[in-house]
Amino acid sequence: MSSTNKHIRRVLPLIGLIVLAKYIYILHYLCGLNWTISLTDGSFSAAMLMLAIWGCILIIYAYPTKVGLSLYALLIASAFSLLTVFTEMQVLRWWLSDEPHYTEWFDNALAARFMITWLVCAWLATYTALRRKVVTLEKRLQQQAGASALLRDAELFKLRQQLQPHFLYNSLNSISALIMIQPEQAQEMIGRLSDFLRSSVKREAQDSIAVAEELLYIESYLAIESVRFGDRLSVQFDKEYTDDAKIPPFLLQPVLENAIKFGLYGNTGRVNISIHIVLKEGTLYITIINPYDPQSSPPKGTGFGLEGIKRRLELLYARTDLLETLKDEENFTTIIKIPQAHV
Amino acid sequence: MYKAILIDDEPLARQLVRAFLKDYEQVSVLAECSDGFEGFKAIQDHKPDLIFLDIQMPKLNGFEMLELLDEPPAVIFTTAFDEYALKAFEAHAIDYLLKPITKERFDKAMQKWLAQAAANQQPKVEALLQNNIYDGYQHRIVVKDNGLIRIIPEQDIHYIEANDDYIKIVTKNGSYLKKSTLSHVEQSLDPQQFVRVHRSYLVPVGQLLRIEPYEKESHVALLQCGAKVTVSKSGMAKLKTLLGW
Repeated sequence: MSSTNKHIRRVLPLIGLIVLAKYIYILHYLCGLNWTISLTDGSFSAAMLMLAIWGCILIIYAYPTKVGLSLYALLIASAFSLLTVFTEMQVLRWWLSDEPHYTEWFDNALAARFMITWLVCAWLATYTALRRKVVTLEKRLQQQAGASALLRDAELFKLRQQLQPHFLYNSLNSISALIMIQPEQAQEMIGRLSDFLRSSVKREAQDSIAVAEELLYIESYLAIESVRFGDRLSVQFDKEYTDDAKIPPFLLQPVLENAIKFGLYGNTGRVNISIHIVLKEGTLYITIINPYDPQSSPPKGTGFGLEGIKRRLELLYARTDLLETLKDEENFTTIIKIPQAHV
Repeated sequence: MYKAILIDDEPLARQLVRAFLKDYEQVSVLAECSDGFEGFKAIQDHKPDLIFLDIQMPKLNGFEMLELLDEPPAVIFTTAFDEYALKAFEAHAIDYLLKPITKERFDKAMQKWLAQAAANQQPKVEALLQNNIYDGYQHRIVVKDNGLIRIIPEQDIHYIEANDDYIKIVTKNGSYLKKSTLSHVEQSLDPQQFVRVHRSYLVPVGQLLRIEPYEKESHVALLQCGAKVTVSKSGMAKLKTLLGW
């Protein structure tokens, strides 16, 4: 807005001068009025017209409208033209009352005067209104471009997270060990790892999926982690939701991964992670509680997981209050809210 | 008979190494540990010849644990780290096994170590630790304090002073000595947070209260804890760029 305003502000004196010259030309040469009248009327009318235009522009910028912007601009321009011509009529008649014939001429030319004022006002007001619209649109386009770039980043990050080498390599190493000591379990683990990888690849394109499906995916992930970390990891699920509740895919896995990392890398004892999912008043609340040690620093890369989720939720639902984290001495709680109506 | 210790937070990963080691009768596994603390203790108790060490572990990671040892044993790292991160290991002739570990690669590492052990030449891990192997900065320093391991979060540090072969870490809970160099610590901490203001001083930016001219070409910084440290000419230049004065 300010750039347009500046732009107009720079052009306005120029328009004023042109209008002044035009007025004087018309009054003196075309209408045959003498110099005193032409100069007085011309300058005053030009000044009034500039004031009117300035007023129109200010109002168009200052007050947003629910009517179409161009119609609004025209209405304002008309109002200002009427006001301007009325003021001119009062002032000029009083000022030049001793000039013979002027009053009579003024009355005759009133309609033309109004038309000119109105045309100029309307043109500039509409122009301003349209420019304003263009600027807003450009801004929105830029925002959208930014948003989609962010989304792409998130997708890329997700992909990297799914196929995160650490997780994969460590799992393969565990499988390798199982083959030597418990071959049947090795097979089971390969199955789980395949489930996990398959759903990672499959669901990439979907906007939202059923919670149940996401949970299946999470469960295969957790099953692998339980095998890797033995009896140190235990996860409790507590579900109260209807089956048609939906959530954006891959939202939970980074959180759980954080929870596991926090828990297992900050702790040497047993790690209990509890997941509570409830559907309340059209919002799905997912609460994940994991133990953490405030003393030990978080493992690498944990911040980005949550930051990424926050940004994704912001992009999807245009709300900033959907991710909450709480810390106390022992537990780290992550609460994610998914509005159901929008999914 | 060689003594070995396995340090890894995943039980299956330890079992795999143990199974691979069955072929080596001259090596006996004395202990299995699941984090750096346990590992540190077991190494002090058993004085092993060789350890298999994972890097990412709870409480104390593999590097931090090694830093605390006065005489680190021979190490074969077992890790899922990216390969590029392990270039530093090769440079110091220290072997590593990338997970998933294959028997072939394991045997190769063992042959190499057995040859070194027979010739009584052990590569030194100290040199490796001098490099900042992490891609990222540490946010804590681990020290040994009367046989205890103490983890100092970076926000507790008032300043760090060079002291011959040692560094003195002054914190809100007292000061600790650690066998290390100021350059090494400087490399491992976030340069946006810690500034080497002088050959002998590393200071957290947040601790700076004010800086006064001292002698010709040098300044003195007053810290929040009340201590005063000398700021050299180049230290002053670093502060200026960092803080945008």
